[in-house]
Amino acid sequence: MRGLNWRASSAAAAMAGLILGCAIFFGRAQVGAQARGKAVYDKHCTECHGVDGKGDGPGASYVAPRPRDFSSGRYKIRSTETGSVPTDDDLVNSVRHGLYGTAMPGWDRILSDADIQDVVAYIKSLSPQFATPPKTVSVAEGTPSSPDSITRGQQVYEKLQCGKCHGTDGKGTGAVTTDFTDDWQQPLPAADLTQPWTFRGGATSRDVYLRFRTGMAGTPMPSFADAASDKEMWDLANYVVALGRKPVWSMTAEEINDLYARQSVEAKANPVARGKHLVDTLGCVLCHSPVDEKRRMLPGMRLAGGVMFRIDPFGEFPTGNLTADKDTGLGNWTDDDIKRVITRGTLRDGTRLLPFPMDWGSFSTMTADDIDAIVKYLRTVPPVSNKVPRPRYYSFPVYMWGKFKLLILGGDPPMAIFTGNAGTTGGVR
Amino acid sequence: MKRFLKWALLIVVVLAVCALGAFLYFIPPFFTTAPEEFGKLMQAAAPKVDAIADPAERALAERGRYIVVSTGCIGCHASNGPQGPDLTKYLAGGAVESQTETATYVSRNLTPDKDTGLGRRTDAEVKRVLQSGVFPDGHVVPSTNMPWGAFSNWSEEDRHAVLVYLRHLPAVRNETPEPVPGKAVTVPGAFDEEHAWKDYSVREAKPTR
Repeated sequence: MRGLNWRASSAAAAMAGLILGCAIFFGRAQVGAQARGKAVYDKHCTECHGVDGKGDGPGASYVAPRPRDFSSGRYKIRSTETGSVPTDDDLVNSVRHGLYGTAMPGWDRILSDADIQDVVAYIKSLSPQFATPPKTVSVAEGTPSSPDSITRGQQVYEKLQCGKCHGTDGKGTGAVTTDFTDDWQQPLPAADLTQPWTFRGGATSRDVYLRFRTGMAGTPMPSFADAASDKEMWDLANYVVALGRKPVWSMTAEEINDLYARQSVEAKANPVARGKHLVDTLGCVLCHSPVDEKRRMLPGMRLAGGVMFRIDPFGEFPTGNLTADKDTGLGNWTDDDIKRVITRGTLRDGTRLLPFPMDWGSFSTMTADDIDAIVKYLRTVPPVSNKVPRPRYYSFPVYMWGKFKLLILGGDPPMAIFTGNAGTTGGVR
Repeated sequence: MKRFLKWALLIVVVLAVCALGAFLYFIPPFFTTAPEEFGKLMQAAAPKVDAIADPAERALAERGRYIVVSTGCIGCHASNGPQGPDLTKYLAGGAVESQTETATYVSRNLTPDKDTGLGRRTDAEVKRVLQSGVFPDGHVVPSTNMPWGAFSNWSEEDRHAVLVYLRHLPAVRNETPEPVPGKAVTVPGAFDEEHAWKDYSVREAKPTR
């Protein structure tokens, strides 16, 4: 009896030791993975997601949608219940394939599978939400796409009033509004359902079904798990997939020209949206928004100007305030004043700008409609008071000496861009 | 006679100084060129797409050309010639060096050359740089040096159009160096004591290599 007891307790102790050992081993392995993941993260991810994972890296202010804030633990692309964190596989897939239609690239050819697993382990350690294990949704066998299923899906689309945000045709026509903001107050247009290659989490019926089923955390897109049956959601997924149009890379020349003609009609009908697209893509924001010493845009200073450029041997040229502020921005400029700067590099008072870094020579090659659209958009930029000093040309001797250094001696850097705001925000000082 | 020589020498020296002064003053002659000329220059420098046989490719390349020209890619991706940036070797890169606190980047060769240009990159690799600044070897070019943050806002279809145009440029062989890590930037005498932090980027146009 005693012997048995002793044997039982020693077996229990051995078991406990084994379990403890395993726990320590796997715990260590987890910590090791996180440490390795941090190294991968610091090398590849900080430019957008920031050193702390708060989604505030230097590149974050220029891309839409903004990069994920990993400290919140909220993710759009999940296969888990509403309010739950994503599974490891969800995160691995997002890293491996990227998020379509955003600045997040697919890393599968660049990072090894082990690297991706490690970086996912590190990302999870950034949010306490991951202490609760994910609640995976069980995905039943789907309904294969068929004309019947698509027709039923269309009825579900109407029943669930998807058109209120996505439009009756999936691209916003007849929608109440398509301009939303996410939980981080960033602009977020409703998805254009006719462009499946921009669906963040993929464009198969299963991907689309999962978005309905789980909702997209942090956005106005809810879960429809309570409002629709599983079968209805599969039909709806088949319908949404069927809404997709051909992308330009599989179109014929006529189709491409038709598309471009339609796009230019849309651009003319909505010049502010077109202007915003141009300002966002031409890089205006990059030079006309001051950044801090870590190259992150100063909060609230988008397009408010004040980035100092020193261009040897010519002088010092702070970028202008492009917001609609009456005193310090473009509020009092006429349309022609603005166009003259964009296309001819000549300020209101007749001062001529250098042909760089403000690339008015290139901008002048845009169509008149596009230039109009830019001006119309700039009128709508919320005013920020930031009094930017006038460009300062160096005096003649300094200019000549600079030229001599540059052209004869060589090697002098002609352009330096400074962090910080050279203007006077809000008239303080 | 001696006196005459002395005077002649003086005049020659004065003329030489004036000539040097004028040379320094007028090169590059930004302010002697009419503003309208710059746009024409940019248009003319970009190769046309008329010669592309496939009509669909041609339509895409036309859109790509509009975007590439109006965005001013050539502002950085020019090639170097004896007179500075050489626009005839369109987008062959190398003319501009930009530095951050951590590395120096030289503008790349965007022509389809097989050894030094985009000919060695897949479509996905080129698009990934335009979308997120991530190069095939995994390094991320800062968004403040190559403005991919702005280009990521192009629609995927426009990005494709840009790619198609780049694929149809005349190939130019021009080796451009990989980023050099670890070069610190210091520009003394920043603009204003109160706001003087530090420069984050210096671009250097070298007239000759």
